[in-house]
Amino acid sequence: MTLAERLAAYLTRTSGTRTQVENLARIPGGASRETYRYDAIANDRREGFILRRDPPGSLIETDRRAEFLAIRSFAGKGVAAPEAVALEAEGAELERPFFIMRRVEGGQSASPFAPDPFGEHAAAMGEQFFTIMGRIAAEPLASLPILEVKAPPSPDACWRSELDYWAGVIEADEQHPQPIVRAAVRRLYATPPPPAQRISVVHGDYRVGNFLHDGAGRIIAVLDWEMAHLGDPLEDMGWACDPLWSNAGDPRISGMVSRADAHAIWRRASGLAIDEQAMAWWALFASVKGQAIWTSSAKEWRDGGCCEPILAFSGWFTARRQDEILAERLAEMGPL
Amino acid sequence: MTPTLPDILAGQAAALMQPSPPEAGSEYQAGRMGIVVMLASLAAQEAQRGPAARLWENEAIAVLLGAQPESEPDFSWRGLDARNAELRRALIARHEAAEAAGDRVLQAKILELYLAMAKARRLELAG
Repeated sequence: MTLAERLAAYLTRTSGTRTQVENLARIPGGASRETYRYDAIANDRREGFILRRDPPGSLIETDRRAEFLAIRSFAGKGVAAPEAVALEAEGAELERPFFIMRRVEGGQSASPFAPDPFGEHAAAMGEQFFTIMGRIAAEPLASLPILEVKAPPSPDACWRSELDYWAGVIEADEQHPQPIVRAAVRRLYATPPPPAQRISVVHGDYRVGNFLHDGAGRIIAVLDWEMAHLGDPLEDMGWACDPLWSNAGDPRISGMVSRADAHAIWRRASGLAIDEQAMAWWALFASVKGQAIWTSSAKEWRDGGCCEPILAFSGWFTARRQDEILAERLAEMGPL
Repeated sequence: MTPTLPDILAGQAAALMQPSPPEAGSEYQAGRMGIVVMLASLAAQEAQRGPAARLWENEAIAVLLGAQPESEPDFSWRGLDARNAELRRALIARHEAAEAAGDRVLQAKILELYLAMAKARRLELAG
């Protein structure tokens, strides 16, 4: 059976209505999930959906249930989360875990490496981008679906659990000694940040390239919630502002707004403060986390038979750029 | 750093020879081909500058560590990377020792070297 036939069988069984699947096509969408678009036709009605299925080997070992519940946590909350429709943790007819979201039509994604990705809409995009990030940070945790799978860490320990995890990834997946990121990891352990001012949902991969916009200055979907967890809300700010996502020489964050404007917008939307010491820690952490992901990417590429070029790109070009960012940050900070 | 240029080139061949599944849409295929093209452009830079960057880095680390020169140096990609791995491991240990001892002068030298190492291996995206 083809994937479309298996998906149709699943939809027919679970809905109790004969459902056809048409126009199933894989689309570019990161290396950690296979992403497909398709139309489902039932009772003469056609609707568009996105299928996210685990690949045989995954770049980021994430819990698809956490991703699904994170998206559900923000339904109708003004953060452009897509509508999460179904989750099959055991894979059912599709043999590998997957979930389904309603398709957001008419959107485009910007490449982190494109020069001036938003043109005349840069300021409007920055306003929305950092406002949405602030709303995610401000959302009260009580009763959010993500609490089913993620326990809130204590404000003074959330940095350590994240750092332990990503330092462990580097330790496990490194195939060539990396002195720069290892020095950064030691510095982070040696100089912990102040306790988080609150525990929030952290999107975990909030950056340019992970949202859809309408080409006219409006964000219409925030995607890629696969690393969502609970922690210090400044973590998302550190990740979004990593220089990796901005063109060298462009002082704006991802071609949108200045760092100062980004912080001001976020403070307004979240009602939270930005402690500079904490921000510096989370900024360095973001580069360490990035390098951990690119390290895994290189390993995954080799272990998977070198067939997914995006993994080679991440494990090579992106890893080298991240090393340069880390080295610059460490040089600015000076000796311990 | 991994992957090496021979890895990249062999991987591109593997990726291009792999048959596409029926559900791979044109958008996905175009995106995949775009990345293969970018990798080819990066590979050209690495072929031109990679060996010199490795030789320079190995020499710079060896000088900082006061390491003995190799009696029979191997100038193949694999040989340069093997020597680099050995030197980088020693550099990590030396940096840790400098931090433990509070030797800020040596730490500053090492941080300066890290920056030069990262810049020497820089790859540029075309266009």
